[in-house]
Amino acid sequence: MLNKKRIGIYSFTGCSGEQLVILECGKYLLKLYEVVDIVGFPMAQSKNTIMDLDIALLEGSITTESQLAELKEIRDSAKTLVALGTCACYGGIQSMKLGEGDWKKRFQEVYGADDKLYNKMKPMESKPCNEFVTIDYYIPGCPMDKGQFLHTISHIINDTPPHLYPFPVCTECKWKENDCLLNRGELCLGPLTRGGCGAVCPSHNIPCVGCWGPAEVTNMPSEYKLLLEKGYSQIEIFRNFRKFGGTPMVEKLKNMMEKLR
Amino acid sequence: MRVLWMEKGKLKEFFYSMKAFGELWGPIQKGKTRIYGKAENFSDLKLEPGRTALPIKKLIHPSKFTMFKYDKQEYSTKLENIPRRVILGVSPCDIHGLLKLDEIFLEEEPDPYYEKRRDNTAIIGISYCKPCCDSCICQSMGTDVVDEGYDLFFSDLEDFYLVWVGSSLGDDLVRLNPAVFHDDIDRTKLEKFVECKKERDKLFACSIDMDVLPDIMELSYDSPIWDELGDKCLECGACTMVCPSCNCYNVIDEVYLSEGKGKRFRYWDCCIFKEYSLVAGDHNFRENRGERLRLWYGHKLNSFGPYGRPACVGCGRCVDACPVDINVLTVARALLESK
Repeated sequence: MLNKKRIGIYSFTGCSGEQLVILECGKYLLKLYEVVDIVGFPMAQSKNTIMDLDIALLEGSITTESQLAELKEIRDSAKTLVALGTCACYGGIQSMKLGEGDWKKRFQEVYGADDKLYNKMKPMESKPCNEFVTIDYYIPGCPMDKGQFLHTISHIINDTPPHLYPFPVCTECKWKENDCLLNRGELCLGPLTRGGCGAVCPSHNIPCVGCWGPAEVTNMPSEYKLLLEKGYSQIEIFRNFRKFGGTPMVEKLKNMMEKLR
Repeated sequence: MRVLWMEKGKLKEFFYSMKAFGELWGPIQKGKTRIYGKAENFSDLKLEPGRTALPIKKLIHPSKFTMFKYDKQEYSTKLENIPRRVILGVSPCDIHGLLKLDEIFLEEEPDPYYEKRRDNTAIIGISYCKPCCDSCICQSMGTDVVDEGYDLFFSDLEDFYLVWVGSSLGDDLVRLNPAVFHDDIDRTKLEKFVECKKERDKLFACSIDMDVLPDIMELSYDSPIWDELGDKCLECGACTMVCPSCNCYNVIDEVYLSEGKGKRFRYWDCCIFKEYSLVAGDHNFRENRGERLRLWYGHKLNSFGPYGRPACVGCGRCVDACPVDINVLTVARALLESK
């Protein structure tokens, strides 16, 4: 084999679920260690660096100045950047109030009005990685899917572009022949949400909460009107849309309100 | 064509004797939905009017499957691993759906994956003295009766079955247990069949005027209806997934981590999705959702590709599947009512 590619996994704000998914890859994880040099993986090894990276895998959203500095350093050191999971891709659940203002007030309500902590942490409102640097590939999910991770990483290592399904959750839900929860009157976000999870929640009779982030092409105004007709309040619908919607949802909601006006 | 009859109580015995051919499948209940599934016992089968969530295409043209695996030397399709199956209880509209797929996958360049599954599957159709459901449009589409595409076809005439033998495989299946079949069909049995058909014809709750609709579709190319429907469509793809005549798929290669190995798989694609019509250079032939819906309904209600006939088999699945009520019935109605 030619020179092994240097890969690092770097973690920002999130639950570290993506590192756990990688650790759970079993025999494929051992294979991965065989074919690449893993130089950064905080959950698995104590020696971690950011230097001459071929591929950097990012999990979590950016919420402090020091994370931002690290992200920029990674971008400068890496040929290919991959955002793992909904937090890194879209901002995650911690970005649900993005753009609503009064962020410092909200921060201090939780962490106290003490400026000492604020000045020391230099926190900022949670945003996805692509707000600050160029991201080459995205693997959404909460957490991401093992199969989609292995597909993406194998393709990049072998210098072929990865391809993840751009379809919504409903597609796989139909493949599984589930009874449609939206048709039953539930607040299901399947049509708006990026698929690939195997429609796992609707398959267990639980409406989709949108945890894989917004699908690229959706018809939000139509689903919004449909949910209003089904008796849900605007507040409730927006809260659900925003829960995992991150930055793309801010834009989508703005467009929707303009369209409906 | 050979026609036989069978006493109602003998189907169970015949069902088990078909185990000699392969796995036994049929309409079974899964939670709130009916699906084509493996039937361990005859009592699992739902042999009564009603519709499965997905059509029979899912067993011949699966939603996602591996075509072949490869390494640096060779590739292997493992077609020999495709099991032999008997599917008892296939509705006439689903058989018509298969006939449409046959035209696409078997004529000219036969698709080996489709062909092998089709060859390994015994299709045993069934019809009842009632329509399957309230949203059936098969009568309008001429798909409520079926002349070909099955191996055996059972007409459930309440206290007995009339059984049509549609292929040499069907004949082989009869020979697995010839004692349960009789060929002395008397006049009363035939009269019962005719009466049942006439009664059923009166019970269809929905219809589409197919005499005029294809021409109206042709004239409605620039109709504002398409944009109105496009504004409403959720682009969830449900209509295409449940449609017996939808056959589009995408092909993706899965490269393994090392050793130059990988596999190629297929999954159902959908022309309602924007990415479907995206081509090199970021151009899109059907940029608007309305244009994509017009294409789909053009295929279903006017003509599909080289075959010149509407692809809709009138199963009514899109009527139940679409969350925003866009389906062959509402679209046909909107077009027929617009000027």
